[in-house]
Amino acid sequence: MIKIEGISKSFKDTNVLNDISFGIEKGDFTAVMGPSGSGKSTLLYSVSGMDKISAGQVIFEGINISALSEEELASFRLTKMGFVFQNAQMLKNLTIYDNIILPGLVAKKELPEKIRKLASELMRRMAISGIENRDIKEVSGGQLQRASICRAMINNPEILFLDEPTGALNSEATDQVLEILEELNNEGMTIMIVTHDPRVAAKAKRVLYIRDGQIAASKELRKGGDSVLELDNWLKGLQFNNSQTS
Amino acid sequence: MKLLLNLVRKDFKRNRVITTALAVFLILSAIFMAGGLRVTGIMLSSLNGLNKMAVPPEYVQMHKGDYDEQAVADFVAQQDYLEDALVVRMLDVNNAQIICNGESLEKCLMDKGLVTQNENFDYLLDQNNQIAIVKDGEIGVPVYYAEDLNINVGDTIVLQNGAYQKKFKVATIIRDSTMNSSLSYSKRFLISTNDLNEVALHMGEWEYCFEFLLKEGVSTTVLENAYLAAGLPSNGVAVTAAIFNMINAFSYGLVALVILVISLLLITMSVLCLSYIIRATLAEENHAIGEMKAIGIPAKDIIKLYQIKYTIMVVGAGMIGYLAAIPFGDFFSATVIRYCGDGSSQWMQWITPLVGIVLLSLFVIYRCHRIIQKHLKRTVMELIRGEENTKQEGHYRLPAKALKAYNLSMALGELKCKWKENVVIFLIFVFSSFLILLPMNMNNTINNPVFLTYMGIGKSDVRIDIQYSNNLEQQKEEAIAYLENDPDIERYTVYQNGYVQSQNVEGEWEYVRVQNGDNGVFPLEYLEGKAPTEKNDLALSYLNAVDLGKKVGDAITIIYQGKEHVYNVCGIYQDITYGGKTAKAAIDFDRKDIEGYMIYLDLREGIDIDNHVTKMRTVLPNSKITPCDAFVFQTLSSVIANMNQVQGVAAVISLMLTILITVMFLQLMMAREHSAIALKKAIGFSTRDIQIQLGIRLLVIQVLAIIAGTLLANTLGEVIFAGMLATVGVTKIKLLIAPLWAYLLCPAVQLGVVVMTVIIGTNTVGSYHIRDQIME
Repeated sequence: MIKIEGISKSFKDTNVLNDISFGIEKGDFTAVMGPSGSGKSTLLYSVSGMDKISAGQVIFEGINISALSEEELASFRLTKMGFVFQNAQMLKNLTIYDNIILPGLVAKKELPEKIRKLASELMRRMAISGIENRDIKEVSGGQLQRASICRAMINNPEILFLDEPTGALNSEATDQVLEILEELNNEGMTIMIVTHDPRVAAKAKRVLYIRDGQIAASKELRKGGDSVLELDNWLKGLQFNNSQTS
Repeated sequence: MKLLLNLVRKDFKRNRVITTALAVFLILSAIFMAGGLRVTGIMLSSLNGLNKMAVPPEYVQMHKGDYDEQAVADFVAQQDYLEDALVVRMLDVNNAQIICNGESLEKCLMDKGLVTQNENFDYLLDQNNQIAIVKDGEIGVPVYYAEDLNINVGDTIVLQNGAYQKKFKVATIIRDSTMNSSLSYSKRFLISTNDLNEVALHMGEWEYCFEFLLKEGVSTTVLENAYLAAGLPSNGVAVTAAIFNMINAFSYGLVALVILVISLLLITMSVLCLSYIIRATLAEENHAIGEMKAIGIPAKDIIKLYQIKYTIMVVGAGMIGYLAAIPFGDFFSATVIRYCGDGSSQWMQWITPLVGIVLLSLFVIYRCHRIIQKHLKRTVMELIRGEENTKQEGHYRLPAKALKAYNLSMALGELKCKWKENVVIFLIFVFSSFLILLPMNMNNTINNPVFLTYMGIGKSDVRIDIQYSNNLEQQKEEAIAYLENDPDIERYTVYQNGYVQSQNVEGEWEYVRVQNGDNGVFPLEYLEGKAPTEKNDLALSYLNAVDLGKKVGDAITIIYQGKEHVYNVCGIYQDITYGGKTAKAAIDFDRKDIEGYMIYLDLREGIDIDNHVTKMRTVLPNSKITPCDAFVFQTLSSVIANMNQVQGVAAVISLMLTILITVMFLQLMMAREHSAIALKKAIGFSTRDIQIQLGIRLLVIQVLAIIAGTLLANTLGEVIFAGMLATVGVTKIKLLIAPLWAYLLCPAVQLGVVVMTVIIGTNTVGSYHIRDQIME
């Protein structure tokens, strides 16, 4: 589905990503982990086309998105992918509900009635029904993040990108979000998520460990998910090796 | 101090666009303030200088025909309030008999008289403001004609009547303290006594000006009443010093006033911008200010820290404005300097703008101080929490059905939620629109033939004056006979003028000039009430109504032929003819009391006015025949020329400011909404969508502002314009608007400028780094 071929990203003289290649198949659930500043979020923004890459290419279903024009890229973001930010970002002059349906109404892939029905259905699934008409400042962080996932799903995207979606949530809200992600993936949704939390990564099918802008290791997780403890031990091993090397 | 300056330098670098835009605003305000005051200073200095050297009379009674010299001499001897008196002989020459550089002055509508230099007072001055002296064969030409007909020293002027021809060499250009202005209907040419006596044998008609200087504190009314009561020669108009001053104020002062009004608008716009920018900047600095307060830095030091930047800007702008106002002010003062000279109080052109700049700077610094001081009144916690930023803006709803024009819906929705922060830009766009429209409407009004109705003259194609003649009745009958038989005349009305007496508020009996005729055919604009229709109705000019203490509905007693008559004041109109003091009533004057006739007429559709006037002049050679449009153009030509320049400058400045305001607000909007813009891009809005949304928001604000600015220009503009014209007796005026320009072309240009600026100014959205903008 997505082929990432030798992508690099540099800011001024610093290389943040250095010649990274990997692939994502339909239905994959890929978690990207790594220490702070390793380049994991930059990788997510580069693969999703939110950020321009310095070298290499990202091929999405045969289309090189690195070569798309600004207008084509906007259309790609609107119709093919959903993106969830760490701090649930929403337009503050719209209600929760209007924030969710906005990309649907703009994309016009479906009739407005169908979009509204889908939004209500998504909100019900995310257990946030009842907050439709509230301002974004009137709901909790967990509710807002789940509403962000609804917005990201409104155009039935082919892939969902998430940047530390549980980073600012408490434990209960984190569990709710994880449950939803797992459910979506089980239904066939392709997911790529950046996280530092093994609990979150444990839900994925594969973990990529990024260090110094490169994939330092990758681990396929067993069907049904590795236990958090097992993944934690793997990560500790990687960190130990790193300190030994350095 | 070094630390403060370093902070200021860094701040300038960080907010380069906003700081530059604000600086330009302040500089323009300073230029216009200093420029307007420089023009005022030069005007006052020039007029004072001219009056000081020329010593104009305080009362002039003109007279055509013979008079009793002994009676005048006796009158002068008996009036102990007279400082000095003078009888000026003026030889009125027909315009067609004057040939300048090979061309006759037939098309010039003003009267021309030949005079010699006066003794004691009312001197005609040369271009160095010295008493002009001409030798035999030389002539001094009024500056109005020198300008209008491009006459220079050394040119030849020929007076010709049949076989008689007299050539003159132009020796000097004349400044005339009483008849300089284009608003004055007569102009004086200076020649030697020998030449005057010689020319008088072959052409012209003698007219006499009885000129008086009064002792300190004596009113001209005293002299006017005594003069008329003594039955002295009065076959002509009487003019007072007040009228000379009015004419000068209108001729030279109007442009200065318009520039000062523009400067006040610019100052208002600058202060609005400044307040907005200071608040926006301080809102971003809340946390830092809170920390400074928390560690005990005194409020006055924090104020100093934030105020220094604006103080430096204001002082810098003031200095640049003062210097730039020198060529700016001189450009708009060229006319008054040419007509009146450099003047005797040249310090005024340097000191008045300086005072203005100092006051402007102090005002702006004070406003900055107040805004910062108010901001600092918040508690440390309020500042650190940034409570101002968390204020709810509210939300808008997306349409229930399809979102067809989503950019439009979102832009309007956001505008609704953020209306408070758009009030300032709205007001600035209103003023900007006002700035273009006010001078344009004023100029259009002065240029419009309907302006005559504000001057006390009914709107008509042609006016025939029959006055100052011993054969008034015969001339009138000849004119009527001609008009009755001319198929090209659509309609005409005859008015007769005479004098009656009425009591002023101080109980003194004053002479009032009354016009009798059908006032419905060529109507005037009435301030209150209506034109006289009943037998005992009387309408008063505004200045007469004030002088006589009358309002509509009051009874007024007049004396005519020694008998008292009671009339009802039916209307008040404005008038600038005859010093603004006239009346209209159906008073059947005796033939001997009629001072003159005036005939207004309209020609049939399609008849060329100029050609027909030429034809009428050959048929009625003894009457003064004036095409009204050309008359307005010639009398107001200097004012119109200056107003054209002011209108052009105001339009350019306004458009420039529109660009600046748009750039500045786009910067502020994009800085404030960087996160929302990045989010929109992340969920699939293109750069073009975002540009369109920002553009729609600004254009909607601007369209509303243009509507408000247009309404303001038509209402407040009228008040301002009337205030300016109040000095010449016009208190109420309807601005006449050129709809194509005011309602279509100007708004289109303004909107076009904003569209272009938005396209260029929002280009940076394309290079927005979504991740950085969202995370900040």
